[in-house]
Amino acid sequence: MNDQEEDMGTVYITQEDAYIGKTDERLTVRAERKSLLDVPFIKVDGVVVLGRATVSPAALNELLERQIPMSFMTSTGRYLGRLEPELTKNIFVRSAQWQAAGKPEKAVHIIRGFIRGKLKNYRSALLRAQRDYPELQLQTALSRLEQAIVPIDKTPEIDALRGLEGTGSAAYFGCFNQLIRVEGFHFATRCRRPPTDPVNSLLSFGYSLLRHDVQGALNIVGFDPYLGYLHVQRYGRASLALDLMEEFRPLVVDAVVLSVLNKRFLKPTDFTAEPLSQAVSLTPEGRRTFLRLYEQKKQSAFKHPVLGRKCTYQEAFEIQARLLSKYLLGQTQQYPPLVLK
Amino acid sequence: MYVVVSYDIPQDKRRTKIHKVLKSYGQWMQFSLFECNLSDAEYAKLRARLARLIKPDQDSIRFYFLCACCQGKVERIGGEMPRDESIFLV
Repeated sequence: MNDQEEDMGTVYITQEDAYIGKTDERLTVRAERKSLLDVPFIKVDGVVVLGRATVSPAALNELLERQIPMSFMTSTGRYLGRLEPELTKNIFVRSAQWQAAGKPEKAVHIIRGFIRGKLKNYRSALLRAQRDYPELQLQTALSRLEQAIVPIDKTPEIDALRGLEGTGSAAYFGCFNQLIRVEGFHFATRCRRPPTDPVNSLLSFGYSLLRHDVQGALNIVGFDPYLGYLHVQRYGRASLALDLMEEFRPLVVDAVVLSVLNKRFLKPTDFTAEPLSQAVSLTPEGRRTFLRLYEQKKQSAFKHPVLGRKCTYQEAFEIQARLLSKYLLGQTQQYPPLVLK
Repeated sequence: MYVVVSYDIPQDKRRTKIHKVLKSYGQWMQFSLFECNLSDAEYAKLRARLARLIKPDQDSIRFYFLCACCQGKVERIGGEMPRDESIFLV
């Protein structure tokens, strides 16, 4: 990574009916005859459109040429789809990816890695909360998580592994409400499509954003994001992106959601509920706050436990994708999920 | 690399063209002065584009390179501040 890449950022367009165009070698965003943004393409590494926007043919062309992925979400943050630049020409990675799908022992190793990574990160989150706030009742959840983590490496069946993941996640979300330490917010259980309370709506929104980033990283490394191992193939579903997201969910999204709430960056008045579907979403102002904090988290640095050097979460998405490709190509003996203490 | 680009172009039309090209590579800080954070390839491309536009007998463009150590020592009083390039939100 050179220093240029650290300077690149994601463009989030929340303005309804924006017009995304190209002037010289710059990306421009206009709405209501006003120019809202004018940035060089060399500073952009992703575009996320929330709501409706028009993209000019010239801008589309430039995004594809420069391999800048563009994701589309509803204004409430539900993932719709994306403009995916051409897959890299690295056929060897994709071929190894397909072969592993037919080889249970390789697929099982990878699935174990994703699940172990996710559950261990859940455990560290709870342990940290327990250390900071000794009065919390997290012991039951922690021991249930432990019981799900221990058998992972001895379980050979994929469905049984999915079961362990389910048990572990249930234990974690069972006490997630205790991690929210402010008045006015409550978490009962994980609900999606649509999320009907503020905490769930933030989690869903965060996972959509994470998916944009992880899928971009997989594409850069040369994977086919649609063939996964933990998530089975389904038409139009980026299963591998969902797989690789698992270990990052607690590290990136849950951490941002909790800090946004506990540090009172968002108040209950920053959310609105749709009368019919009960779907809860952020107000435009709240959405901007959340996007800014999510981006800050992505650019924050930590020491990568396997590589032993500093990197940002944004870089870690690509690093983990490369570690996965090395395992699939037989260059390493195992895939190490990103587990942070 | 961090490059400070300054230019002196007497003719308005040509100066506007130069200005537009530079806006795609860095940030306009003052009249006739840009700060650009570029890779080698980006710098080469910018330089080539500018070289094609100018009339060398009348115009001049200067590229001053700042090392990583000096980049942090730039002091700015008033005027444009460097933009946040980690997120673009509209």
